[in-house]
Amino acid sequence: MGREAILNSIKKNKPELLPLPEINREAFHEVIDLKDTFKNNIALVGGQVVEIEKNSIDEEIKSKYPDKEHIVSVTKKSKLGTVMVDSSTDPHSLEHIDLAILEAELGVSENGAIWVAADNSVVKALPFITNDLVIILDKNNICLHMLEAYDKIESRDRNFGVFISGPSKTADIEQCLVVGAHGAMSLTVILV
Amino acid sequence: MSHASKAAEFNKDEAKVNWHDKALWYVREKRDKSAHNVQGWEYLRQLGSSIKANVLSNLDEYLVQFENNAKKNGVQVHWASNAEEHNNIINSILDKHHAKKVVKSKSMLTEECHLNPFLESKGIEVVDTDLGERIVQLAEEPPSHIVLPAIHKTKEDVDELFQEHLGTKPSGGNPEYLVAEARKHLRDKFLKADAAITGVNFAVADTGGVVVCTNEGNADMGVHLSKVHIACMGIEKIIPKEKHLGVFLRLLARSATGQPITTYSSHFNKASEGKEMHIVIVDNGRTEQLSREDFRASLHCIRCGACMNTCPIYRRSGGHSYDYTIPGPIGSILSPGKDLKKHSSLPFASTLCGSCSNVCPVKINIHEQLYKWRQVIVKEEKQPVIKKTILKTAGVVLSKPGLYNMAGKSARFMLKYAPKAMIYNKLNAWGKARDLPEVKNDNFDDWYKKRKKNG
Repeated sequence: MGREAILNSIKKNKPELLPLPEINREAFHEVIDLKDTFKNNIALVGGQVVEIEKNSIDEEIKSKYPDKEHIVSVTKKSKLGTVMVDSSTDPHSLEHIDLAILEAELGVSENGAIWVAADNSVVKALPFITNDLVIILDKNNICLHMLEAYDKIESRDRNFGVFISGPSKTADIEQCLVVGAHGAMSLTVILV
Repeated sequence: MSHASKAAEFNKDEAKVNWHDKALWYVREKRDKSAHNVQGWEYLRQLGSSIKANVLSNLDEYLVQFENNAKKNGVQVHWASNAEEHNNIINSILDKHHAKKVVKSKSMLTEECHLNPFLESKGIEVVDTDLGERIVQLAEEPPSHIVLPAIHKTKEDVDELFQEHLGTKPSGGNPEYLVAEARKHLRDKFLKADAAITGVNFAVADTGGVVVCTNEGNADMGVHLSKVHIACMGIEKIIPKEKHLGVFLRLLARSATGQPITTYSSHFNKASEGKEMHIVIVDNGRTEQLSREDFRASLHCIRCGACMNTCPIYRRSGGHSYDYTIPGPIGSILSPGKDLKKHSSLPFASTLCGSCSNVCPVKINIHEQLYKWRQVIVKEEKQPVIKKTILKTAGVVLSKPGLYNMAGKSARFMLKYAPKAMIYNKLNAWGKARDLPEVKNDNFDDWYKKRKKNG
């Protein structure tokens, strides 16, 4: 019903074909310290970031989040998990998770965003439903801007994935910024 | 009711108008700061504009490509010519799943189609989960801004609304407390929801996936917790390739709020096991707008709201004065295409200063289109007698130098010697909140001649 009518109407009304522009990457080239800019941008969007040695991850998390009881860790890099999950876990059961720890593969310098694929979080709802979120990232995996980021994730298995930049937030009440809307109340990025 | 008379209503509370004006200008300033941080920003805008122009010129092919790729991922694709079809499709999906509780994240399209009242009439609970949208839903009002839906509400208004509907304690409008209470209230809705409805920021033809941008995480809380995800999109949301997200996601949040990117940019390509994902593709007047050469670029819009934040009229008249789903400058060029008679005052709600076009991330020539709509409207719609008479008189005076000279002289005389009450009368709309400039004795012509004579 709608499909043919819509497509026919477009055919009738669209202008002559205009070219799809090539993207000249040179125009966006900048010589900057990717890691420093990334760190600054995470602070700008309300997140925290630390750079530490691989063997002190758990120590760092414990000192930042000392009183957490229900912890999900879906990375081998942390042994702090107290609640086990797998891909068949009902996300509703994660309602009371205090802290989620996961590892991601890519950070973006220009905006502090981190690509979290469905595989990284095991349960898709995890990084959103948890009260606080820790993401572990290799400091060598930071790219300049979003165009580069899409090059890096181009050949993934397309299921679900999200760029996360900071903790959830809202300014819907008189433009006052409040951190902690529906998603995580805090985000700590651990660079190793 | 015309834009001007609705704006007059909004202007009754001067303190509130001043706050509204300043708050939005602050957002505009944040946009500037953020944009100036990006190497090649103007080129980025040009790319955004050219990609969208290509999309419109090949829209049918991209939509079919998008549909094929989405279907390969098990996504069910539906097409709706108008609001009624859109609402019926959604209702039938919900009906199939016996879904009675629905959570919705921000979607201007579902506002445009009046989906909420339709579903409510079928006995379905629809909860808007973006905080601003929830506030206006509880107040039974439409959003007044596409990115900041409750910008017209004070924190005290929100406090009262939450006391009434969420049973909160009086807090004098403490934002932290109110957001924490809303988080609890909406968490319960997410956990109990049968289905999630979201809008679509970008639909990618070469992958069949959709991208939804939020700061609160509400789209993801809804989708990942419920059995069914229904994503609703206008046909113009298509972009050709996934890599083009690298252009548009760089533009969107910076233009909207000055953030470098929204907190969450979620890429939905297929449903989880045992769940369903649906996409509803909607026309509802868009192909008609596509046919209008002068106005088709309005379909480039990525709904950032930058034109509203910068507009001197919007900032001082409020979103509700436009009486259209999309207010502000962009709404004023989209709405006449939908109903010329009803929205005929909107293209006049502008100073034609061009600021909207200057900040638009996809370079829509908004102020030129406003001017073009005016020309259509004065031909097709009856104009007020006063306006017609004044313009006719002005036409005669301006075409005759002698008459013009005399008119200028007598105006200068009157402004100098006539009593104030006579000058600042009802006919002088300009003088309502302003003083007229100090009157000089000569006009430019006299001054120039004197200057030449004196060498």
